[in-house]
Amino acid sequence: MENIGLLIDGFGHILSWNHILLMMVGVTLGILVGVLPGLGAPNGVSLLLPLTFSMDPISAIILLSCMYWGALFGGSTTSILFNIPGEPSSVATTFDGYPMAKGGQPSRALTLAFVSAGLGALAGVVMITLLSGWVAKFALKFSSPEYFAVYFLAFASFISMGAQSPFKTLVSMMLGFALASIGMDTISGNLRLTFDIPELIKGVSFLIAVMGLFGIGELLLTSEEGLRFEGIKARVKLAEIGRTLIEIPRYWLTIARSTIIGIWMGITPAGPTAASFMSYGVARRSARDKSLFGKGDPRGIVAPETADHSAGTSALLPMLALGVPGSATAAVMMGGLMIWGLTPGPMLFTDRPDFVWGLIASMYLGNVVAVFLVIATVPLYASILRVPFSIIGPIIVAVIFSGAYQVANSVSDIFLVIGFGLLGYVFKKLDYPLAPLVLAMVLGDKAEDAFRQSMLMSGGSLNIFWSNGLVSGLMALGLVLLLSPLAFWLIGTLRRRRHDVAPHGDGNAAA
Amino acid sequence: MSENSANGVSRFAVELGVAALTGGFGAAVCYGSLDIGAGWTEMGPDAGYFPFYIGLLIVFGSLVNIVQAFLKHRGTEEIFMDAGRAKVVASFLLPLTAFGAVSAWLGLYVGTALYIAATMLFQGRYKWWIALPAGLGVSLVFFVVFEIGFQVPLLKGPVEAWFGIY
Amino acid sequence: MKKSVSIACMIAAALGVAAPAAAFEPNRPVEFVVTAGPGGGTDIFARTIQAIIAKYELMKSPVVVTNKGSAGGAEGFVYTAGYKGDAHKLAFGTNNAYLLPVRAKVPYKAEDLTPVAALASDEFVLWVNGKADYATAADFVAKAKEGGLKIGGSQSKDVDQILTSMINDATGAKISYIPFKSGGEAAVQLAGEHIDANVNNPSENLGQWQADMVKPLCVFKSVKLSSEAKVAGDKGWGDIPTCKEAGIPIDNYSMPRTVWLPGGVEPDVVQFYADVLRKVSETPEWAKYLADTSQSPVYLSGEELKSAVEVDGAAVSEVLKREGWLAN
Repeated sequence: MENIGLLIDGFGHILSWNHILLMMVGVTLGILVGVLPGLGAPNGVSLLLPLTFSMDPISAIILLSCMYWGALFGGSTTSILFNIPGEPSSVATTFDGYPMAKGGQPSRALTLAFVSAGLGALAGVVMITLLSGWVAKFALKFSSPEYFAVYFLAFASFISMGAQSPFKTLVSMMLGFALASIGMDTISGNLRLTFDIPELIKGVSFLIAVMGLFGIGELLLTSEEGLRFEGIKARVKLAEIGRTLIEIPRYWLTIARSTIIGIWMGITPAGPTAASFMSYGVARRSARDKSLFGKGDPRGIVAPETADHSAGTSALLPMLALGVPGSATAAVMMGGLMIWGLTPGPMLFTDRPDFVWGLIASMYLGNVVAVFLVIATVPLYASILRVPFSIIGPIIVAVIFSGAYQVANSVSDIFLVIGFGLLGYVFKKLDYPLAPLVLAMVLGDKAEDAFRQSMLMSGGSLNIFWSNGLVSGLMALGLVLLLSPLAFWLIGTLRRRRHDVAPHGDGNAAA
Repeated sequence: MSENSANGVSRFAVELGVAALTGGFGAAVCYGSLDIGAGWTEMGPDAGYFPFYIGLLIVFGSLVNIVQAFLKHRGTEEIFMDAGRAKVVASFLLPLTAFGAVSAWLGLYVGTALYIAATMLFQGRYKWWIALPAGLGVSLVFFVVFEIGFQVPLLKGPVEAWFGIY
Repeated sequence: MKKSVSIACMIAAALGVAAPAAAFEPNRPVEFVVTAGPGGGTDIFARTIQAIIAKYELMKSPVVVTNKGSAGGAEGFVYTAGYKGDAHKLAFGTNNAYLLPVRAKVPYKAEDLTPVAALASDEFVLWVNGKADYATAADFVAKAKEGGLKIGGSQSKDVDQILTSMINDATGAKISYIPFKSGGEAAVQLAGEHIDANVNNPSENLGQWQADMVKPLCVFKSVKLSSEAKVAGDKGWGDIPTCKEAGIPIDNYSMPRTVWLPGGVEPDVVQFYADVLRKVSETPEWAKYLADTSQSPVYLSGEELKSAVEVDGAAVSEVLKREGWLAN
C-alpha cells in the first residue's frame, strides 16, 4: 500500500487555500465551457494553457484538470434541460434525462446526474490510486485488433436496444457510419465521399450532427406542441434535491456496473463517449422492467453519467503512465506537461511523484468541489425552464448556432445544423431511432481504422481477431451480446407460439 | 396521391419521401466509394470498401422501408402533420432559417440580436422596448463570453467592421 | 462563406490602398490557424509563439489561435488559402503545407499560400523496442531485408511513411507501414511490441525511452544532435549515431515547422511577420522550447525559405511518385 502513502504526500502538496481557489475557478469555467455546446473541454483547456505557463506545474494541472471535471458536469446539464448535449459524452444522458426533466422533475434529473457522475469520477480516481502500475502494463497489451474488439463490444452491447423497426434502425446506423467516413481516411490518406466540396474535407462533425438532431430537432417538436415547454414548470424545492440524494443508494448495482464499464473504456482507451453509450445499453438490457427507459428512468441517467465520468478520470491514467492521451482533453493537457518541462511517460511517476500524486489528490478534491458547485447551480438552471418558450427557444437556437460555428469556424456548419435539425425532427416523428446514428458516428471511423490497421498487421487475414486470449475474449463477449437478444427473442416467440398467446405485440420486450 | 390539403400531409407520403431521401444518400455513398476503390486488396479493405457496403445497406434498408410504408401506412388516415401544426412549426423554422442566412451575411452577433428581438416581438408579443434591448443584450453577453472571455471569435460581418471590431 | 471571403478581400484591398507608404502593422486581431488538433506538435509550436509574442509585445494586435486540423491539416490550409490577400491570417504547419496538394486531392494548391518563415526543424529517429536485440541500425536493416517487419507512424503518405519508403529504397529492406492517428499512438504500439519500429520525432518517444521501453538506433541527420544533456539515464540525444554511419544511407531527413500567409499578400506584410518571427526565434523562451522538444534551431525566410521549400518538395515528391501516391 505504498500508493496510499504517496497519495497522502500528494494531499500535502495540494492542500492550500490557493489551490482550492484554483479548483473552484477551474470548475466554474469548466461548467461554463461544458454548458456551451460549441466549446468543448479540449477548447477550454487549450485556451487556459497559455495562462499556466507562468504557474508551477502542480497549480497549472489543478486548474486544467478541474476545468475538465467542470466541463464534464456542465455537458450533462444542457442534455437534461434542453436535450442538447454540451459535450459528446453526454449524448446518452439525454435519452432519459430530458424526458425526466420534461416530466416535471428537472431537479431530480440534475441531482441524479451530478451525484452519480461524482461517484463515477471518484471510483476512477480510486482505481488510479490503487492500480496505476498494473493498469499501465495492461494498457500496453492493446493494439489495433484489441481496439477493434472493444469498439465491437461497445456496439454489440448497445445495438439491440428498443427498435420498433429493425430496418429503420439499420438505415439510421448506416447513415451514421457513412457520415463518419466523410473526409480524410487515415489509412490511405485519401479524401473520401467529399464530392469535391471544400466544406466536406474536414468531415461532418459529430457535434454538429448532435446539436442538430437533438437540439434543433427537439425545439421543432416542442414548437409543434404550441411553442412552450410542456410540463417543465416544476418549482425547485431543496427538499427534492435531498430526496434524490436519499434515493441514490437504490441504484448501487447500476452504479457499480457503470463504474466498471467506464474505467474499462477509459483505460483501453475507447473514451467516455463510448463508455456512456455502452453503460446505458447494458443498464437497459439488464433491467427487469424496461418500460420506463427512454421515458425518464433514473437508471437511464445514472448509468451513462457514472460511466462517462469514471472513463473521463481513468483516461488520465494512460496519459500519466504511458504518455498516450485517452481523450482529446488529455491530449491538450499532455501538451501542457511538455511546456511546463515535464515529460509525460512511464518515468513521470518516479521522476516527479509530487506532481503525479498532487494531481491524483487534486482529482479527489476537485471532483468533490465540482459536485458541490454544480448541485448549488441546480436551482438556477431549473429556474431557466420557467422562462417562456418565446424567449428561451430563440436563445437556445442562438447558442446552438454560435456553437455550430465555433466547432470549425465554418458558416456552412450553421446550415448543416439546420439540416440535421429537420432530419432529427422527421426521424423522431417517423420512429427512426437516433441513438444508433450517433453511436455509429462516434465509433465508426475509429472502428474502421482499427480494423484496417489490423488487416495491415496481419497481411489481410481475419485470424488476427482470434490471435490471442485478450482479443478472442473480447470478440466472443461481443458476439454473445450481439446475438443474445436474437436468441432470447426466438425462444420467447417459440414459447409464446406454444402457449398460443401473444400478450406483447413487439418481440423486443423479451428478456 | 396522398397530399390532402384539408388535413395536411399524410404519414404515408412522408415515410416514402424520407425513405427515398435516405436511399438517394445511400446511392451517392456507393457512387463516391467506387471512385476511390471499393475492393478488398491483399492488405485488407480499400478506402471505399466499407463505405460502399454501408451505402448498399442504406439503399437496401430504404427499399424495405418503402415496402413497409406501403404495407403499414398506405390508406390509413394517419396524418404526419395537419395544416395548423405545420403553420406553427413553420413559424419557428422559418425565422430560424432566416437567422442562419442573415448570420452568414451580417455575422452571428447581428443575426442573434435581430433574431431574438424579432421572435420576441412577433411571436412572444412583447413590446418593442423589451424585445430590442433583450436581443442586443443576448448578443452583448455572447460577445463578452466568447470574444473577450474565451477569445473564440464568432462570425462577424460588415456591421462590426464599421465599429472597428474584427 | 463566399460572402465573408469577399468582405475580407474588400477590407484587405482597402488596407492596401490606404497605407502603401507606411510599413505594414496589423490593425485587428491576427488569427493563428493551427493545422493540427489541440495538443499536437504544431499546436504547441503556434501557442509557444503566441505566448512569446504576448510576453515581449512584438505585435500590437491580439492573437487568436484556432485549431483546424482535420484531413491531415488540409482543413486549415484550405481555410487560410481562402482568405486571399488577407494580412491577418497565419497558418502554422510543417512541410504538409506543400505536401498535401501533391499527394491528396485537396482543394488548394501550394501556390495559394505565401511562405513566411520556418522556425524549427524536427528530427527523425529510428526507434525499436527496448527489449529488441538490435544493437545498431545495420542489424535492424539486415533483419528487415528478410521481410515481415512493421514500422508504425503518424498518418498515411505523410512524413513517417515517406521516410519508411526511403529506408526501403536505400537499403533494399521490405518494411511495411501501418498508419496511426498520431506519433503518440505509434510510440505506445512500439512500447507494447505490436510494431517493430517507428521513426518518431525525439519528443514523441522521450518518455518511453526514459523507461527503457524503447531505444533509439540512429538519427536521420548528417551530424549528431547537438544536445549535451543526458535525458535518459546515462544517454543523451548527442549519443545517438547518425543513420548514415550506422548503416542506413539516408543523409538528412527533417521536418520544418513553417508559417504561411494566404496568397496575394503584399511583400511588406510578409516582411513584417518574418521580422516578428525572427525576433521570436531569438528569445530565450524559444531556445527553451526547442530544447524541451529536442528540435533543431533553424530560421529561414524570404528567398532562402522558398528554395528550401522547393528542394524539400522535389525530394519528397520523388518518393511519392515512386510509390504511386501522386494525387494528380
